Amino acid sequence: MVADQFACTAAVLEETPDAVVVSNLGVASYVLAEVQDRERNFYLWGSMGSTTATGIGVALGTDEQVTVLAGDGSLTMSLGVCSTVATAAPPNLTVVCFDNGIYGTTGGQPTPSIDFAAAAEAQGLPATSVADDAAFAEAYADAVARDGPSLIECMVEPSDPEARPTFDFPHIPRRVRDSLAE
Amino acid sequence: MSWETDVIDGLRDANIDLVTQLPDGAMDAVVEGLDEAGVRTLRVEREESAIAAASGIWVTGNRGAVICQSSGLANTLNAIGSLSVPARLPFLALVTRRGDLGEFNVAQVPAGYGLPAMMDEMGVRNTVVSEPESIRQTVRMAAETAFSTRTPYVVFFDTTVTGYGQEAQ
Repeated sequence: MVADQFACTAAVLEETPDAVVVSNLGVASYVLAEVQDRERNFYLWGSMGSTTATGIGVALGTDEQVTVLAGDGSLTMSLGVCSTVATAAPPNLTVVCFDNGIYGTTGGQPTPSIDFAAAAEAQGLPATSVADDAAFAEAYADAVARDGPSLIECMVEPSDPEARPTFDFPHIPRRVRDSLAE
Repeated sequence: MSWETDVIDGLRDANIDLVTQLPDGAMDAVVEGLDEAGVRTLRVEREESAIAAASGIWVTGNRGAVICQSSGLANTLNAIGSLSVPARLPFLALVTRRGDLGEFNVAQVPAGYGLPAMMDEMGVRNTVVSEPESIRQTVRMAAETAFSTRTPYVVFFDTTVTGYGQEAQ
């Protein structure tokens, strides 16, 4: 059994409606936009491999919850970033790695098979792995409640979002910034 | 007054809130001084993450700066080109430059010597500081340029500033 990325993304917004959500380019951002476009959605439109590091920067500057929605291909590109999360230890940062087993925006080529939870733990970042919607919702609530960062690896079916919005890229971070300043 | 102190004072003048960095012997005193001055520093695992984190903190109303070597800045081209520039996420980068005057290691030459032109090609404004005078003002003005215009700005420090020949001995 695997989880549904739409349902898990919706669960993130339900649990933490005020969170800044930093989403990886491609599927993670398309799914987030389709579930709900909101001021604190920080869609990335490029920079594969830098989603989690962007989230660290946001988390260090605000007391609000910050959640990164990474993809397995993107996190593979910068797996060492887990050590940076662990060292910086922002208490308000949760990293979700949606593992669909493919490079979803480049044609569905298979990604390397990596135990992301074990890789995160090995770098000092507490982590858990889930494979259904209910387990994700529970793990996410636990992650948000704990005093420190953590990673949730969530096994999901590949999804093909209908919404592929053309983001106004400079407007997106400006909108997040204005929202946090209110 | 050392050049390292001038860099620290320039960053403080510019109200930098977070300095993301990878270890660099030439900048050790700067990072230590920032820690002592209460300016938050973040050590990253790769320079591309330094760019992303410094870009990310901008959305919280804060100012980020990056410290790295020129070889490290070469690691960041995708983050600069597909995040910082198109999303208009400003940061100041202070880069110790290798590859030109006094360089003994050919492995430092292609990227270190070529980076100012590579930044120009990507539309990232930059300046090379070769003399230690006016560093404090240059750092501050570069930061103001970056955050006022919402684009990155890179300051390269030549070996004539950071010290010549230390690694060769």
